[in-house]
Amino acid sequence: MNFDLGPDQRDAAAGARDFYRGSASPTAAREALEGGAVAPGRKALADIGFLGITVPESAGGAGGSLLDLAVVAEQGGAVLAGPSLATAARAAVLVAGAPHLAAQLADGSAAVAVVDGPLPGSSPSVDAAGATLFLGLDDDGALVVGEGEATPGRPLDATRGLASVRLTSRRVLAEDAGQLWARARQVAAVVLAAEDLGAADAAVQMAVGYAQQREAFGRRIGSYQAVKHMLVDAWVGVDQLRSLVWWAAWAADAAPEELPLAASAAKAHAAEVLERAAEACVQVHGGIGFTWEHDAHLYWRRAKVDRLLLGDAAEHLDAVARLAVAGALG
Amino acid sequence: MDFDDTPEEAEYRAGVRRALEEHAAELLHVGAGEETVDAATAEAELRRTQRVLYEAGLVGVTWPREHGGRGGTLVQQAIVQQELARARIPALVNHIGLGMCGPTVIAHGSDDQRRRYLPRLLRADDVWCQLFSEPAAGSDLAALRTTAVRDGDDWVVNGQKVWTTLAHVADHGILLARTDPQRPKHAGLTMFVVDMHAPGVTVRPLRQMIGSAGFNEVFFDDVRIPDSERLGEPGEGWRVALTTLMNERVAIGGAGSDLGVPVETLVAHARQRLPQLDHDRQVLARQAVGRAVVASLATRYTGYRRFTELSRGGVPGPEASAGKLAGTAAAKLVADAGVRLLGDDAVYAATAEGDETWQRSQGFLPGLAIAGGTDQVLRNILGERVLGLPPEPRSDKSAPFAGGAR
Ligand SMILES: Cc1cc2nc3c(=O)[nH]c(=O)nc-3n(C[C@H](O)[C@H](O)[C@H](O)COP(=O)(O)OP(=O)(O)OC[C@H]3O[C@@H](n4cnc5c(N)ncnc54)[C@H](O)[C@@H]3O)c2cc1C
Repeated sequence: MNFDLGPDQRDAAAGARDFYRGSASPTAAREALEGGAVAPGRKALADIGFLGITVPESAGGAGGSLLDLAVVAEQGGAVLAGPSLATAARAAVLVAGAPHLAAQLADGSAAVAVVDGPLPGSSPSVDAAGATLFLGLDDDGALVVGEGEATPGRPLDATRGLASVRLTSRRVLAEDAGQLWARARQVAAVVLAAEDLGAADAAVQMAVGYAQQREAFGRRIGSYQAVKHMLVDAWVGVDQLRSLVWWAAWAADAAPEELPLAASAAKAHAAEVLERAAEACVQVHGGIGFTWEHDAHLYWRRAKVDRLLLGDAAEHLDAVARLAVAGALG
Repeated sequence: MDFDDTPEEAEYRAGVRRALEEHAAELLHVGAGEETVDAATAEAELRRTQRVLYEAGLVGVTWPREHGGRGGTLVQQAIVQQELARARIPALVNHIGLGMCGPTVIAHGSDDQRRRYLPRLLRADDVWCQLFSEPAAGSDLAALRTTAVRDGDDWVVNGQKVWTTLAHVADHGILLARTDPQRPKHAGLTMFVVDMHAPGVTVRPLRQMIGSAGFNEVFFDDVRIPDSERLGEPGEGWRVALTTLMNERVAIGGAGSDLGVPVETLVAHARQRLPQLDHDRQVLARQAVGRAVVASLATRYTGYRRFTELSRGGVPGPEASAGKLAGTAAAKLVADAGVRLLGDDAVYAATAEGDETWQRSQGFLPGLAIAGGTDQVLRNILGERVLGLPPEPRSDKSAPFAGGAR
């Protein structure tokens, strides 16, 4: 057994950390709420190659594994970057049979989003705001691609680019695509969980840093058990989420039969871990944590939105139970 | 990244399986969901089981050869543990000796002690117990009051220990005692090996909340321990105890094995019980099962990560406490889901068919949240040693113990 990242993945994570820290931030996430652009934005992500990590080399991508992508996504999550690499990973699965689309996805020449819900309309879909090309599943189970009009709602977390879409054109890419669609959604759930891992880790670190310094009643607040134990529980959750994310991402390529259960486990856990971390982060900061200028609420917003995207915890816990009972644990 | 056995590991595993099959008739087995067998009623079978396993090379896998071990790797140790669980062999009678006392003797004992004790411990010729906790010293272990006073070549011990697992069948124990009350509480302690059959040692079994006898009170009245049975220097007892406690948390929360009932057992139970519930109840029960499975897998895979670090030569750090903390929480979710799936039978101590798996697990878990570091103490350790949060102010660390700073 060797359950650890390889040296290349560690290097990739370090590189991604530098890139994301230089190109996105909670500050940018706050500005996006007031009408600013989502950072680093699609073009920058395409230029550095992150949109094509799982796109085959023949289509201009890096031909990497989902684990390669997940370690990068974690770093994006830490600074609340957008668009989500979950969208790129999901689209890459869907367009695997259409190399020209895969190439456009990887180089950013098409702004691709994947829409959920009955076509030609859609429910709120990630990164649909500003997208130009949409992938969806029609009533007959065919994978379709087309253009459309995106209508964003008032954002709770502007970095997610959520919008409802009405397709104005569509053509069939593949008939009978139900299984492909399901797999793509599982892959996206893993990547979203990886971004949540990064965000939760950052929120815990921020809160720990404050608890080490802030004093009340003549002591640093981190010495109070009510504060300390809250932070420990949040940290344990993050540490455990990392294991589920790595396992699920690894399974996508190395043990595909384990992916459905692993992806649901990671997504269900991510929803709860990020929410706990972000709420603890606000609470530990006291009044300053409740201000617009402080970064805590941006992680809180990410938590409150992400927990509902691509299936909430209730849906994924149900899936885990059904899959396990059906024999998925062996 | 991979979760597979290497060819050598696969070969080792096959050898372990062969040995367990070959000796099956001589080994004690338990039913699904049972973890332990009452040492008081099955002592002879339990000792024989460990001896047979030792002779088959499956006990003391990682211990040095010179001390009777196999000089093997942590990976081999983990394989043996998995295969013992798979074959439904109960916890070894000397699990405290193997997990805690033995490693402490290896680290701090004299050559003579190692030679005399370790091979017999491995073969379960001697069963060991850990005599740390007292009525007034549990989490705050260094507040202990049992005294050892030097008298010629001996030490004379007086006091009381409590919650001592296995003391009722034990031959030896490691005993932490106060040898210098004039020094601050952590500095005045010394560790000894005590003969549980020595004059003046009285063991009284205590009944645990689930009804069985697992731990004891132990009284020491002028018990003489030769100085040659000291582990480490006088006054160094706290440092020696930390070796024991670190091994304990790794032994309990270690390399990805489930605490409590294995999650696969819950899943099999759900497979059978879910269809008997009405639709709304099924929906709720699946939430509980899903939550228990996620928590168990999160703990298991986190154990695999720690295990990977250890197998590369890392030393167990304070993170091991997280494994026990999270493993206890996951085990509670598993037990609770298992009990709820019983329907009307859930209010009884056993099902109509006499199955007590889930109630026993539910009743055993409160003890797991206390033994080997309570949940709260583990959170303090993690907060201070992993997150770097400040400790609480303390007034008991520097004043002489006898001065009342307890
Ligand atoms: C099943 C079982 C087997 C055991 N086997 C052994 C054995 O073989 N050998 C042995 O020596 N001991 C054994 N113990 C004893 C065990 O180590 C102690 O019970 C444990 O350390 C707690 O000590 P205590 O019982 O004195 O409780 P206390 O320390 O009095 O704790 C009472 C409560 O106060 C809380 N508390 C205490 N200090 C703090 C703090 N600083 N911060 C926050 N909360 C705190 C605890 O979490 C707990 O909830 C066993 C216990 C059990 C339940």
